Amino acid sequence: MNHPRQLARKAGNALAALLVAVALFADCLSSDLPLIVKVDGHLQIAPSLTHPAEARAPADSAPTTSSNNVCVLSALSRYGPDTEDLSQRLQPPRFASGHWFGTDRYGRDVFARVIHGTRTYLVFALAAVGLSLGLGAIFGALAGFFGGFIDSVVTRLIDTISAFPPLVLILGVQAAVPQASGLSLFFAIALTRWPETARLVRAEVQHVATRDYVMAARALGASRLRVLRNHIAPNVRGQLVVLGALGIPAVILVEASVDFLRVGEAATHASWGETMSQFRDAPDAWWLLAFPGALLFITIAALGFVGEARRDALDPRGH
Amino acid sequence: MFAFALRRALWAIPTLVGVSLVVFVLTTLMPEPSVADGLVSPNAAVRLDEMRRSRFLDLPRFFNPAPRDVRVRIEECINHIVRNTQDSALCSHRLSQIGGAGLPFILPQLSRLPVEERSKIIEALAPLARRMAFEAGKLSPDSATSLKFWTHFWDDHSVDFTGPAVRREVDRLVRRGSDKREADIRVLDTFALEAILSYMHEDTPRESLVRLSRLASHVTGRDSVISESDDVAHTRVVISDWKSWWYVHESDFTVLQGGPKVSASIGQTRFAKWVLGAATGQLGLSARDHQPIVDKLIAKAPHTLTIALFGLLASITLAIPLGVVAAWSHGRTIDQITSALLLVFYGLPTFLVAQLLTSLNRGTSDHGLWPAAALATVSLSVMTRQQRASMIEVLAQDYIRAARAKGARTLRVTVIHALRNSLIPLVTVAGVQFPALVGATFVIEEVFGIQAMGWETLRAIESHDAPWVVAVTLLCAAVTTAFLVASDVITSLLDPRIRERQVQRAFRS
Repeated sequence: MNHPRQLARKAGNALAALLVAVALFADCLSSDLPLIVKVDGHLQIAPSLTHPAEARAPADSAPTTSSNNVCVLSALSRYGPDTEDLSQRLQPPRFASGHWFGTDRYGRDVFARVIHGTRTYLVFALAAVGLSLGLGAIFGALAGFFGGFIDSVVTRLIDTISAFPPLVLILGVQAAVPQASGLSLFFAIALTRWPETARLVRAEVQHVATRDYVMAARALGASRLRVLRNHIAPNVRGQLVVLGALGIPAVILVEASVDFLRVGEAATHASWGETMSQFRDAPDAWWLLAFPGALLFITIAALGFVGEARRDALDPRGH
Repeated sequence: MFAFALRRALWAIPTLVGVSLVVFVLTTLMPEPSVADGLVSPNAAVRLDEMRRSRFLDLPRFFNPAPRDVRVRIEECINHIVRNTQDSALCSHRLSQIGGAGLPFILPQLSRLPVEERSKIIEALAPLARRMAFEAGKLSPDSATSLKFWTHFWDDHSVDFTGPAVRREVDRLVRRGSDKREADIRVLDTFALEAILSYMHEDTPRESLVRLSRLASHVTGRDSVISESDDVAHTRVVISDWKSWWYVHESDFTVLQGGPKVSASIGQTRFAKWVLGAATGQLGLSARDHQPIVDKLIAKAPHTLTIALFGLLASITLAIPLGVVAAWSHGRTIDQITSALLLVFYGLPTFLVAQLLTSLNRGTSDHGLWPAAALATVSLSVMTRQQRASMIEVLAQDYIRAARAKGARTLRVTVIHALRNSLIPLVTVAGVQFPALVGATFVIEEVFGIQAMGWETLRAIESHDAPWVVAVTLLCAAVTTAFLVASDVITSLLDPRIRERQVQRAFRS
């Protein structure tokens, strides 16, 4: 293992941790609502979470109470991802205006969109990868462990799904369902990704199932389920972690592409792809492409590095 | 070698069946047409029925225990009309729609029916008689006169209502068309439809096509005719329109007997109709611009696949030298520089690269090779890594050391000894990467504004043109499968051991 590679790996880990932190504390980085308010002398922390109804209410509807509210601590940037201000459309980045990354064509703050987009994308990718890993592990384990008819059915299924170009199948699902939404996109992505996991788990289970210690356990009278859980699963776990780690950037990439192509209903949630897609209509607004694009690039590279590090840790031969 | 290729191709058939099943499931996800689809006209029910039938929604999904042919349909209609149910209006319409093809099942039993029921049916047949161009005088509202007319008609014409007679008539019309013959066939109405449409292909002389399409349009009431002045493209559109219409409505006009009746339990189902239609190019009309989907695919798909192929070739030609150089300088500076470069390419999303490239050459409409260049970044990273890894592995083999010991130079060792063996995994990776490249081409087309298959697909999604998207999905999967077969065959050309192993695997499973 050489020095620069190790350095890059550390950088990747640090960046990935930073991304998770940004996703977790997105509301602290940019929010149109204050973080801490003083209401009638009492401190309220994060009123948008604890008292959502009051916090979201427009200020002019309750003038008496709002005068008692004193903002103690506000978020780093005072714009939320969904705050539209049509008078501020397509403003270039300027520090003084508070729009550090500029605004999009609805006058929404790009910085807020990008920061909250991190959360959207990470949560979405984690869920989609989780579902596809679960499906793949179940199908792969069934096929590898029981063999015979189940194996050939699952193998055919894997071959079938892998025959589709992933993006084309996702577009097909989005076009066929009556209402294309984030949920259908989620299932479509999981559908295209599980065969990869299933194929690997199946091969690994088949390989491990012929080992002597598994045979011994069977001979000692352990049930199939017990063998699968106690003797085979630990061998597959590491590979699953690697697949999951490498899957997250891949899912983020696909989701960003689909958002960029504006498939399905207009994304209301903060999304990098949606912000970047606006650049096509406003080719002079470079900030619409530059900031989300840079963050997307960093995310994919960093998470890719984390995944590779996991893989190399499993495979001591190294490359 | 050929045997292996054939065997590998046969092996892909179950995959294709699976693919068609998956796409079929997609089509069942599509919302069914409903009355709310902007139909306010009085014949909304008829239009709705038509829309449902064009997607075979009137058929069961996978198994049809009682396939319906013209005889069954006529009996159902007569039943409805006689019992005067709420569908009787629709059924009267259907009876005249089925027309001449149904007469052999109506007229012989007409005299056996009670007077009241008979008059209802005769009333339903009135539009048919008008279509056959009988004078109004013979068709008085008086039931007895009409009965006499139909009985006479059947006495005179029952000889003509047989398959061979009709085919002979239509054949004569095609060879030496005359208005007299056309009028004769008009009397047979839809009974001649099967023969008429079987002669409707591009080899038929134009004059006959004009007559045939005029006849078909007259008996069905569909407005789809070829005129003398039409160009070849329009003729093609009309012919394929009639073909796909016949594919959907064939069972309205033909009788199922013997073998076809048995196979209809499988054949007359939504899945079978859809699969066979797709396989023979009956993909229907695009909902967006009402062009036959097959024609549009033939026009658009080669462009997209060419771009994808160019992208693949570009990344292969870049990946091989890069991987070889990186493998030779394994662990040294050049290796590290290339891997840093590859990291950049790995993290760069395709659409970002494409968007940056279009921004750089703004103002020019001719993009030249830029789309392929943008596409090459998709799999360059994966392929170079694969090439580097397999090259390192090969270079560590004894036979390479032996070649070096004999005094072969670096270049010779690389090109002559190592490269061929190190290419095998790359070919496999190329086969696997192709689907991703096809998907990425859709993005590239959208960004560069190339109006090929991907661009069309995105417009189709915007305008809810599901048939087109489904057809594209099916085509892409078929092409990918073919590509995987090709990559397996190339691999086996490079390494005979793999061929044997795969044959064994095929036999075992």
